[in-house]
This record gives sequence, structure tokens and C-alpha cells, in this order.
Amino acid sequence: MAKILLIEDERVLAEMYENKFDEAGYETDLVFSAEDALEYLKTKKPDLILLDILLPKENGIGFLGKLKEIAGTSQIPVVGLSNFDDPETKKKAFQLGVKEYLIKTQYTPQELLAKIKKYLE
Amino acid sequence: MTELPIYNKIFVILIDLIAIWLAFTVYVNNPKGKLNKTFLWMTVFMFLWVNFAFLARLVGRADLSIAETFLHIAWFVTPLFFTALYFLIIFLLKKEKEYQLVTAGVVIVGISSAFVTGFTHWIVAGTKFVNEILRVVYGPGMIPFLGGIFFIICATLYPLFKSYFKEPAGERKKLEYFIVGALIFYLANLIFNIALPVLYDIARFYFIGDYSAIFLLGFTAYAIITQELFGIRVLLTQALVGVIAVLLLSQALTASSWGDFSWKFAIFLFFIYSGYLLVQSVVKEIKQRTELQRLYEEVDRLSRAKSEFISIASHQLRTPLTAVKGYISMILEGSYGKFSDKAKTPLENVYKSNERLINLVNNLLNISRIESGKMEFEPQISSIEEIVEGVVAELKITAEKKKLYLKWEEAKTPLPKLLLDQDKMRQVILNLVDNAIKYTEKGGITLNTQILNSKLQIQIRDTGEGMEKEELAKTFESFSRGVVGTKLYTEGAGLGLYIARKFVEMHGGKVWAESEGKSKGSTFNIELPIK
Repeated sequence: MAKILLIEDERVLAEMYENKFDEAGYETDLVFSAEDALEYLKTKKPDLILLDILLPKENGIGFLGKLKEIAGTSQIPVVGLSNFDDPETKKKAFQLGVKEYLIKTQYTPQELLAKIKKYLE
Repeated sequence: MTELPIYNKIFVILIDLIAIWLAFTVYVNNPKGKLNKTFLWMTVFMFLWVNFAFLARLVGRADLSIAETFLHIAWFVTPLFFTALYFLIIFLLKKEKEYQLVTAGVVIVGISSAFVTGFTHWIVAGTKFVNEILRVVYGPGMIPFLGGIFFIICATLYPLFKSYFKEPAGERKKLEYFIVGALIFYLANLIFNIALPVLYDIARFYFIGDYSAIFLLGFTAYAIITQELFGIRVLLTQALVGVIAVLLLSQALTASSWGDFSWKFAIFLFFIYSGYLLVQSVVKEIKQRTELQRLYEEVDRLSRAKSEFISIASHQLRTPLTAVKGYISMILEGSYGKFSDKAKTPLENVYKSNERLINLVNNLLNISRIESGKMEFEPQISSIEEIVEGVVAELKITAEKKKLYLKWEEAKTPLPKLLLDQDKMRQVILNLVDNAIKYTEKGGITLNTQILNSKLQIQIRDTGEGMEKEELAKTFESFSRGVVGTKLYTEGAGLGLYIARKFVEMHGGKVWAESEGKSKGSTFNIELPIK
């Protein structure tokens, strides 16, 4: 079963996506901060990382920078998933290797699933 | 009369002119300012001090008693000058309350020293000539007098230095002028008026001490003036007025007869008055301009704050909107179990309303970016046909739900590829077609793409409500200009069209609407240059 790491500090949204991914037969691990995510990635390797950008302490951009220092993560695709629609941030995220930068309000969980399926095959 | 060195005379005249100019400049700069008034007093005291000391030497042996009176006047004024300087510093630092007791002390010492010096022989006992130079014979009160002056100097320097070391670097600069001016003045006085005559019996350099006051005045004037914005134009105007005034005055003073003198002097007075008015009007104009500049900056700041607020608020709004969208969509998809058929339409209505809110937030974000100049334009070679095709496919279902047709009349030959920001151009066409669907109840919408007059034209023609002339003109205005009708506003379409116009303008094109009138349909045109 393909595994998704969802880094999302808004629990209401995190649970919603988790419901959908479960339904579609994916295993979802939830973490609520970039720090927890980095800790998680030291031991576990998911098939896809869904990354919120505005996070409590370290933001998504900082996370992307530190992710490179963790061995064995370079092959994991990262998709930015945020309502923070700032061109500068978007550009930075792409420079740091995100595959896509999706605006949450533009997609239902179903549509999001359709968008990320290709990374989980 | 004693023959004084010529340079001494020139110095006095120069210093007088500079002092008058400085006092005038500073006073006119802000006649009601405490600092400016104090400065005026300081200048008056210095003027009396320097001139009477000079006149005493000028009269000298010819009339020793007059010389002595003049010296008394000069010495009378000296403590007052030091006192005025103290007040200037206290006013500048805004420390009136903190130093109330010291101020009382300074006033008592200053005024009593002045009167004792001026009206008794206790300090200035008399005059004598030593090596052809007029000297003061010091009385027994000289030491207490110097002590008093020393007290005033300390009372002045203490708050000045204390503030100087506390202030941030920017504020320090202003104080530096005072400190430099005051130190030059104090030092010159200490050396030439006290140390040399008292210790070495050298009095012929007394004037350096006296005249050094002009440095103090110069630095002080600069510091006071630069506190407020003061243009070079005012200084130039004043300098010009000053030069002409001096010329007129010298003409009057060298007049051959009383009659000649009086009309020349009248001209001089008249000129001084008009010069004053002229300088004032220049100052006023500069103040107005400064005020305008300030207002402009304030408006600019508010406008940026507004954009930032909208931007932050929009991001915050999007989170709950995403939750509503997500959960409702999942309920409708059956993720949370079965729901009654009766609930389906209400749920769909909630979903649609939420979509409208999302759209509104997106539009607000776009507008805030457009207005704050943060909207980026990323053109790349693209095919307009692909964009139109995408939009038609996307909105076909919406049109069909309203039982409207949505046609696209393609050009017979393929259109040239253009440099387009795909996302934005897609948004433009989407907004216009969406708007057309919204205002059409029967019939449909026809899109047409063609080359017309060497320009690419995209036409969106509907069979809808149509518009009156006044409405046409306002169609593409931002809601924030307050001109879009309530109907457009409540439907939320006003924003979409405004954004469409801005995006088209980013491409160097234009967008406009045409209509023959109410219920005759509308045509929206986009025209893009072919480069």
C-alpha cells in the first residue's frame, strides 16, 4: 500500500484529506509541523509528501531546505499544498524541488487525489 | 577715536549682517516656535554684546566715560546670552519639566549677574588703557561672576551631553551642531576673554572670543532650521533679499542730504517689508508641498496596508472555505455514507455558494496584487486556440445546465502563436464567458477568434440582457472605485471583469463591451497585439 506523508497543521483539513486517502486505499501519516515531519523522515520513507507551506514554526520552504540533508529522501516526490498563493514562495518551492504547488481551495479531495495519483503508482 | 584694526571693523559688520540674516531666517521659519523665539533673543543679545564691545573700543580714549557705559552694556548682556543658550538647549531637548529647579537657578544667576554687572562697579570696576588697548578693570565680584557663568555653562552642557549619549544615531546629528557650536564659543571665550587677559595680560584678541558667538549662532540656526524641512530656495530667497537690502541701506547711509536719505531709507524699509512677505510666501509654499508629500506618503502607506490586509485575510478565509468545499464534496460523493435525496439539492447549493465565496476571495487576492503591483506577468509562446478550447470545455456543462448553447467559431486558418501569460489569459476568457452565461437566460454564447486589422480579436457574443450606455462604460471598473452598480456587485461579476481588463492590459491589449441596448445582448471584445 502506497504511503502518503501529509504535513498539515490545520487538523480539520488534515483529517478530511486522510479520510479521502484512506477511502482510496492509501496509507496516510499525519504530522502537524515541519519539525515533526523531519523527525519522521529520519526513520520512515513515504511514497509522497504533501506539504503545507504555512506551518507553525519552520515553514514549508524551510522544510524543503532541510529535507535535502536527510539521507534517502531525494527520491520522494513533494507536492506543495497550500492556500498561501504567493508568487515568490511558489517560485522558491519549485527551486527547492516540489513537483507541483497546488492551491487547496481550487481542489476537492477527490480532485486532489486525481492530481497526485501519478506519484503513487 | 582709537584707531582699530580694519579687519576688526570688517568682522563686526560681517557678523552683524550674518546675525541679522540668521535671526530673520530662523524666526520666519516658524515665528511661533519656542526655539525660534529663543534664538531671536540670543541673536539680539549677541548683537548688543559684540557691537557695544566694539563701540567701546571705537570711542575709546576720545570719551572714556561713554566707552565705559558701552562696556557695561556689553557685559550686562553677556550673562543673558548664556542664559538664552541654556533655554535653547532645554527647549530643544524638551526637558522643561525635568530641569525646573536648574532653570530657576540659571534664571536667578543670569539676571542677577546681568544687573550687578550692568548697574554697579562691582564686576566691571572701570576701564584703563594698556598698550593703547582699552582694558576692563576687574572689580572684586569678577570671580563670583565667572563662577555664575561657569554654572550656567555646566547647566547647559549637562543635559546636552546626557541626551546626546542616550539618543539614537539619527537624533544625535541635530545635537552635534549645538555641541560643536557651543564648544567653539565656550572655548574661544575661555581662551581670549578669560585666560589670555587674566593670566597673560593679553587683551588684544578679546574680539575673537566675542565674535565666536557667530559660530554658535550659525550652527544653532542650522540645527533649528533642519528640524523642519527647509528648502534651499528659502535660503536663496533670503540671501537675495539680504544682498539687495544691504545695497539699499548702504545707499541710504551714504546719502548726500537728509531729503535724499529719507526717501532712500523709505525705499529700504519698503523693500525689507516686501522681502519679508516674499520669503514668507516661499516658506508657505514649501510647507504646503511638504504637507502634500506627507499626505501622499500616508495614502500610499494606507493603500499598501489595505492590500496586505486583503492578502492576509484572504489566506485565512481560504482554510475554512477549503474545509467546506472538501467535506461537502465528500458527502456528495458518499464518503460519509448515504444521505436522503432531499438533502442533495441543499448540499449542492451549499457547495455552489461556497464556490462563489472561493471565487470572490480569489478575485480579491488578484485585485490586491494588481493594485499593489505584485502581480507577476509570465508570458510564453502560446496558442490562443488551446486556451479558448479549454475554457469552452470547462464551461460547457454550466451553459447546458441553463439550456444555453456555447459555440466557438474558429478562424479558417490557424491563428499565430503569441506571447501570453496562459493562466491569466485563460482567466480573462473564463471570466468573460462566465459573465455572459450569468446574464443570458435564453439563446446562448458564441465565441469568435480572428485576425482583424493585424490584431488578434476574441469576441464573446451573448443573447442576454444587454446593457445601456452608462452601464457599458462602467463594466470594467473595479468595485473599489464605487461605480459598479449594485447588481453587478451582488453577483460578484464586477470583480471578474475588472481583473480581466487588468490582465488584458498586461498583455498590451484592450477589452471593451458593446451592446445595442437592453435585452439586445452584449458583445465583449478582447484585442491583443500581434508582435
